[in-house]
Amino acid sequence: MFFRLLLESFARRRSRKVLAVLAVWLGVSLVIGLLTLSLDVGDKMNRELRSFGANIKLEPAGAALPVRVGGYELAAAVNTGYLNESKLPALKTIFWANNILDVSPRLWTKLDGVPLLGMDLHRRPAYWKLTGAWPTAPDECLLGATVKALPANVPLRVTGTVTTGGTEDGAIIAALPTVQKLADLPGQISEADISALITPENKLADKYHLDPKSLTPAEYERWACTPYPGTVAADIQDAVPGSVARVVRRVSESQGVVLTRIGGLLTLLDLLAAVACTLSVMGVLTSAVLERRTEVALLRAIGAQQGNVLHLFVSEAGLLGFIGGAMAGVTGLLLGRWLLHAVFGSQAETHVVLLLLAPLLGLLVAVVASALPILHTLRQETAQVLHGN
Amino acid sequence: MNNSAVVLENAGRAYPGGVHALDSVSLRIETGEWVALMGPSGSGKTTLLNLVDGLDHPTSGRIWVLGRDTTEFRADDAATFRRETMGLIFQQFHLIPYLTAVENVMLAQYYHSLVDKGEAMRALEAVQLTERAHHLPSQLSGGEQQRVCIARALINDPKIILADEPTANLDEVNEAKVFEVFRTLHQQGKTILIATHDPTLGGLAQRKIMLRHGRLVEDRYSGSSGPRPARSLGVATTS
Repeated sequence: MFFRLLLESFARRRSRKVLAVLAVWLGVSLVIGLLTLSLDVGDKMNRELRSFGANIKLEPAGAALPVRVGGYELAAAVNTGYLNESKLPALKTIFWANNILDVSPRLWTKLDGVPLLGMDLHRRPAYWKLTGAWPTAPDECLLGATVKALPANVPLRVTGTVTTGGTEDGAIIAALPTVQKLADLPGQISEADISALITPENKLADKYHLDPKSLTPAEYERWACTPYPGTVAADIQDAVPGSVARVVRRVSESQGVVLTRIGGLLTLLDLLAAVACTLSVMGVLTSAVLERRTEVALLRAIGAQQGNVLHLFVSEAGLLGFIGGAMAGVTGLLLGRWLLHAVFGSQAETHVVLLLLAPLLGLLVAVVASALPILHTLRQETAQVLHGN
Repeated sequence: MNNSAVVLENAGRAYPGGVHALDSVSLRIETGEWVALMGPSGSGKTTLLNLVDGLDHPTSGRIWVLGRDTTEFRADDAATFRRETMGLIFQQFHLIPYLTAVENVMLAQYYHSLVDKGEAMRALEAVQLTERAHHLPSQLSGGEQQRVCIARALINDPKIILADEPTANLDEVNEAKVFEVFRTLHQQGKTILIATHDPTLGGLAQRKIMLRHGRLVEDRYSGSSGPRPARSLGVATTS
């Protein structure tokens, strides 16, 4: 009889049901769309923030003594040790391999007292400003903004001048194989700039920095399984023998601040969307329940317990919510994809978990939204409702 | 009191603002009696019915139904007691609009015990509605809807039947059918309490109780020439 009541109510009161399903569908679509954005925005922003420069620097052990000036870490212009370039592919096998977006090996050396930098010029930071043209041939180079002229005995042709705002401004910059050949250091590099997808550091990461031994086993496991800059750097360092991986705090902390704020903003928007969705569904369901208050009173009059009535109406609302939520799973993902494409120009991943979450969210919203009006109706005097007062 | 179906002891129902819908009414209704509650609109007939069936609660006095003190019943206790012992018939029928006639009858079975469609069909047959069993309320006439309401009230074999203006919305033909149903129920020994303006229906009852401004002003048995307060208004004592 219970299912007959549910089914008959569905079959014969379609307009109200359709309205309620639409309210759930719209509200949950918005929540799922924003959740899609929330889940993907970290990766997308990380990729966008690569233009800030690498957030991890890999250097030979012993050459990476950080120099701090005013809170910023400055790398030495010329390192004293070298790493074997052939060891870098090992980074593709580490736990955080999928978080590594880019590895840019560099070789710093000197020619006639002028620093010479070899690097893959296709992996230059986006903020470098060029006057002239980028080198295309192996014997071409750029001059840093503060280098006046190419020394006479350097067998390279200058194609332009570059302003980097960093130590590269005082160097001659050429392709990595060219510099390795000129310096007679085949296969050697002095550092690698690494851009990695990271999670902003939080209290747990701070606790690790202060005293790694203070972490409980559970906290350590959580720390080790979270791509904090320090965690990823430690993994990278372990993969390349004789190296030290250093977090470039200036970059990683800037990224952390941006990501934390955007993450917080999206979480707030998610919550507001969920509340707005619940309120709109509550509006629809309240009027639907009030329309049926005589029915509620009749059920009470023929002996239904308050729990029976609550069960019936909440089940009906839950079913509506489930249907609306299931529909919203698909449209919410499409909305999220569209938002990501509009903002970042890239495709979102399909989060299957959101397809499963959406009907449950719809059900929860509908149950919460329906419980209040039903409880309110149950509190009304049955006798007065039946007599139309 | 153990043999009485309903006992009211100074029962009253006051609403905020000092309105007394029922004012200190005492009466005793014996098992098997057919009682008509009569009086003008606002005299307290419906309020009295609602106090007996537990849809409302007295603000003063006490009420016993079938020997149980229902005065302090909580809403769910009253619902349970009601479905076990009473059948309610409403002036406005109150059928669930999206259930057929037989499903409306089965609904009362569902909240009472077990659903038995055959039994529900027999209840409809008793009120001559077998052919309309699978129609929605909107496809039934007022008289037919009232008979579905009666079938629903009777399906669980209640000891007491409470009816509020059961013929108010009916034409003469349907009114006669309803009279016949009540006559049959009375012959079966059911206790019947009907609030009505209808003098014909009131005349069929074996006892008429007149209310005015919430007070009991007359209690008359059919065939007698005057009120019989000595038997009927005896103030109940707690059992």
